[in-house]
Amino acid sequence: MKKWFTHNLTLKLFSLVLAIVTWIYVNGELGK
Amino acid sequence: MPLDVWFILKSIIRPTLEITILWIMFYRILVFFEGTRAFHVLKGIMYLLVVFVLAQILHLETLSWLLTKFFGLSIIAFLIIFQPELRHGLARLGQQHLFSPTLEESEMVALIEEITSAIYKLSRKKVGCLIAIERETKLKTYLESGLLIDAKASSEILQSIFTTASPLHDGGVIIQGERIVAASCLFPLSDNQNFSKLIGTRHRAALGLTEQTDAVVIMVSEETAEISVALEGGFVPIANRERLVALLKDLLITHNKKIHLRNRKDEKVVHT
Repeated sequence: MKKWFTHNLTLKLFSLVLAIVTWIYVNGELGK
Repeated sequence: MPLDVWFILKSIIRPTLEITILWIMFYRILVFFEGTRAFHVLKGIMYLLVVFVLAQILHLETLSWLLTKFFGLSIIAFLIIFQPELRHGLARLGQQHLFSPTLEESEMVALIEEITSAIYKLSRKKVGCLIAIERETKLKTYLESGLLIDAKASSEILQSIFTTASPLHDGGVIIQGERIVAASCLFPLSDNQNFSKLIGTRHRAALGLTEQTDAVVIMVSEETAEISVALEGGFVPIANRERLVALLKDLLITHNKKIHLRNRKDEKVVHT
């Protein structure tokens, strides 16, 4: 399980940040 | 009460689900291009996307306008410039596991044993060989230059590939996980001037690959039967079998531990 988290960690974190930012932005646009 | 449930569902589960799906999508896109020329460009575009979204949220009009124009052009440019990568990538779509797992320690130990056995048998016969083991950086670009095999790595198969009578003995073998994925692959040649001009093409190829990726490359010299491991653009000469096993275990099993060859006291990196 630990291996799963540490494997490609940078890419996983980067994509998570991207997903959150995109979600916030799109929701903001849809809410206008 | 039903209203409360609906509220929870709407305000917690829906965003979590949407973010998770987006996360998997972005991660898969990045993994899809990892190891190719397009990866760094795509990563750069994604950074700009984050800046663009922040600019929109913070109402930075000029930055938003510039980035909107840039994205319009860059998507078309990306499709044209990286058309070969996209074509190969799409052809392989669906062949990988989601968040692909790494090998268990016991499987890795077995793999190291097979490779070591092959290396020593080839060295005894003075047969040259070049074996690249993939780590974090994907070697997709290089395996496409060779012949795809996809067989479980074993000492016998490796020996068969590098036997001089074999049509596959030229070039290198790429190992992904516990599988030999390709043979006869062409690796980029290093033009590092610090190395002697007398080192052969096989050594230059090993150096070239390790300069551009984090792969571990093991090679046997055809002339001297010497065994060396190339890593991070340098060589580690191997004195005996135990040393090779220990080094491979260190590099492949202690996966996240970064090995800085030049700082190691017990290893000598050859730059002659």
